[in-house]
Amino acid sequence: MKNLIQIFLLLITLSITAQSKYFTKTGNVTFEASVPSFEEVKAVNKNTTAIINTENGEFAALVLVKGFRFKNALMEEHFNENYADSDDYPKATFKGEISSFAIDDLNGSNQQKKYNGTMTFHGKTKSLSDEALSISKNADGSLKITGNLKLNVADFDIEIPKIVSNKLSREVDVSFEFVLNKK
Amino acid sequence: MKRNTIYIILLVLVLATYFGYNYIYQDHRDISTENADYTLNASDFIAEFINDSETAQTKYLNKTIVINGDITAQTNNSITLNNSIFCSLLESNTISQDSIVTMKGRCIGYDDLLEEIKLDQCSLTKTN
Repeated sequence: MKNLIQIFLLLITLSITAQSKYFTKTGNVTFEASVPSFEEVKAVNKNTTAIINTENGEFAALVLVKGFRFKNALMEEHFNENYADSDDYPKATFKGEISSFAIDDLNGSNQQKKYNGTMTFHGKTKSLSDEALSISKNADGSLKITGNLKLNVADFDIEIPKIVSNKLSREVDVSFEFVLNKK
Repeated sequence: MKRNTIYIILLVLVLATYFGYNYIYQDHRDISTENADYTLNASDFIAEFINDSETAQTKYLNKTIVINGDITAQTNNSITLNNSIFCSLLESNTISQDSIVTMKGRCIGYDDLLEEIKLDQCSLTKTN
C-alpha cells in the first residue's frame, strides 16, 4: 500500500515536471554578416532545438551547425570548412535563463524580457547578459519566442582572411524565432 | 598572327569567366540523387549513437544516409523514425501513419538536448 502511494506520488511529480517544459525541434536561427554592396552572407537553420522550463524560465537551444543553409553552395562549404569548422564543432548551444519569467503573465501580445546565459560556438564560450527577447502565448497554447543579438566573430576565435575581409562583417546579426509546444 | 593571339586571349578569358562563374555559383548538393554513404536499419543506427554519440556523430556527419525504420511521429515537414531519428523533409509530408519506410537524408548531427539524431534534406525512397 505504501509502495502504491509512493508510485502514485512519483507519477504526479513526473506529470508536473513534464508539463512545465515547452520545446521545438524546428526553430529558426538566422545569421547575417553581409556588407552593403557585396554578396549577401546569410544563412538559415530551420532545425534548431529549443526547450524552456516554464517554472523558472530556464532556456536552452541547440543548433547543429551543418544545418545552416546558404543560398550559395560554395559559401556554405567555406563557412563549414574555414570559419565554423563544423566537422570539429558540429554544435552551437545556448544555455540560460529568462529574467522574471512567469507563464501566467503571458498573452497574445509580445512581452519584452531580458535573458542571461552562455553561448558556445566553434569551441568558445561567451556569456550574454541582459539581451532582449520577446515572448507571447499563441491561441493554440504554444509559446513564441523571438529576438535579435549581435555577436563578434572575434569572440568565437574565428579569423577572417584578408582577401575577404572587406566582404564580411565582423559583427554578425543573429535572429531567432521559436514556436514551442508543451512536451 | 596578331589577330590569332587576340582571339586566343579572348577565348581564354571567356573560358575562365565561364568556369569561374560555375565554381562560385555551383549548385548545392542534391542529397536525393546522391549515392548513399551508408544504408542501415534505424535501430542499428540509433544503437551506434547510444553507444558513443561523439564517435557516431563524427562518422556520419554530413554523410548521405539511407535508413529503414518505423514512423513514430510526423508533421507537415518532418518524419521521426523509431522515436529518435528526426528527419527534416525537403518537400511537405504526404504519407500515412504507422508504416515502415526508407528515408534518405543528410546527417547533421546528434541533438543531446532531446537525444535525437537529426537529418535534413530528407526524401522517401520507398514505402513498404
